[in-house]
Amino acid sequence: MKTFKLEITTPERVVYSDEVDSVTLPTVNGEITVLAHHLPIVTVLKAGELVIRKAGQEMPFAVAGGFAQVEPKKLVILADSAERFDEIDEQRAEEARRRAEELKKTVATDDVQFAQLAGRIDRELARLKVVRKYKHRGHIGITQEGIQKE
Amino acid sequence: MPRATREIRRRIRSVTNTRKVTKAMELVASAKMRRAVQAMLATRPYAKRAWELLLDLASRTDREAHGLLRRSLGQKVGLVLVSSNRGLVGGFNTQLVNSLVQYLEREQASGGGKPDIVLLGKKGRSIVHKYGYPAVAEFAKLDVISRIQDIRPLVHLVINDFRSGKYDRIMMAYTDFISTLVQKPQIRQLLPLEPSSADQTRSEVNATSWRGEYLFEPNPDDVFEVLLPRLVEIQLFQAVLESTAAEHASRMVAMRNASDAASDLIDDLTLSFNQARQAGITQDLAEISASRVAVEA
Repeated sequence: MKTFKLEITTPERVVYSDEVDSVTLPTVNGEITVLAHHLPIVTVLKAGELVIRKAGQEMPFAVAGGFAQVEPKKLVILADSAERFDEIDEQRAEEARRRAEELKKTVATDDVQFAQLAGRIDRELARLKVVRKYKHRGHIGITQEGIQKE
Repeated sequence: MPRATREIRRRIRSVTNTRKVTKAMELVASAKMRRAVQAMLATRPYAKRAWELLLDLASRTDREAHGLLRRSLGQKVGLVLVSSNRGLVGGFNTQLVNSLVQYLEREQASGGGKPDIVLLGKKGRSIVHKYGYPAVAEFAKLDVISRIQDIRPLVHLVINDFRSGKYDRIMMAYTDFISTLVQKPQIRQLLPLEPSSADQTRSEVNATSWRGEYLFEPNPDDVFEVLLPRLVEIQLFQAVLESTAAEHASRMVAMRNASDAASDLIDDLTLSFNQARQAGITQDLAEISASRVAVEA
């Protein structure tokens, strides 16, 4: 299968950099899957599940917001945060979501705060979704190549 | 004799203890500096990409339509001052404040008003009070900042105040980490964002990335709207990381100098101690021989 270069960067570090077969991303308009020779596009991401496919194996990430920029031979993702599914602590994500929901009920006084908290809840939900979906599969069919170590 | 040597011995002991402390601080500072420098380097790919995207978009959208790019003629300035939390950093804070005061005097001479100061780091407070600038907010700074969330509250404040028109310009004063030995105070404009401030990266940009038409989803303006706050955030984040690296570098150098000075002092004191001891022995011998001569006579 024709491959292309994928780079996932967050403000803190480069999370992933390697040749891949395809990538499925959560965008504000839905979900897109990018294959080699995709047309050049810049799109806004929302919190959700991002799946990289490479040589028949998958690697799931939880991403939160940012952009994806498709160039002819390259896909660059500028995410606000991106975590591999096995880096996510399910319990902590659950707690963070609960806290944010409580705050939303109690202290959100204006639209901006409300939107911020809603964003936080979305982010935690995305993390929970990814970790719950893939945790029970073990590491079968999941590749570790291309992960950039800190 | 015992009194003089005892005194010197006590001083040697106390200087040795001081040297232990400064040595330890030097090591801690150098470890923290390494981490800050690493974090600093790790943010560069993102910042570079984000600027590239901005340059791409700036040509396609109406800049006046976006709050964070809008230039205004007003003179109300907000300034983010990134200082250290603790002292013993050599000239770190002094240097920054000197260049800040010079800059502000120049601004005032050309008709600018007194800026409101937003503090990041504890040491900024006393300095700002001394010069009589109003501090409107103070944020706690962590010693080793590695996550962008740590500065999000500051970013929100700055963006909201600029959007609401409270300030016409936001500046930031921080210290650039050039090398372990050289740190340079910097005062730069944060808002309105100037696509031209990407100039230094522009040459690299053209060399590395693909120039061509993109499709924008949902549309260029929405992408822009999401991108701009990120750029503000990453700029501040980089400034804070630079400052952190510079602070620890400065402390490391200051502590190394202190350790060296302590070593010199110990050498001097050891010499005086030996001289005093020898003088004591000589005097004792002289006294004994004198009394013996007196007895025999």
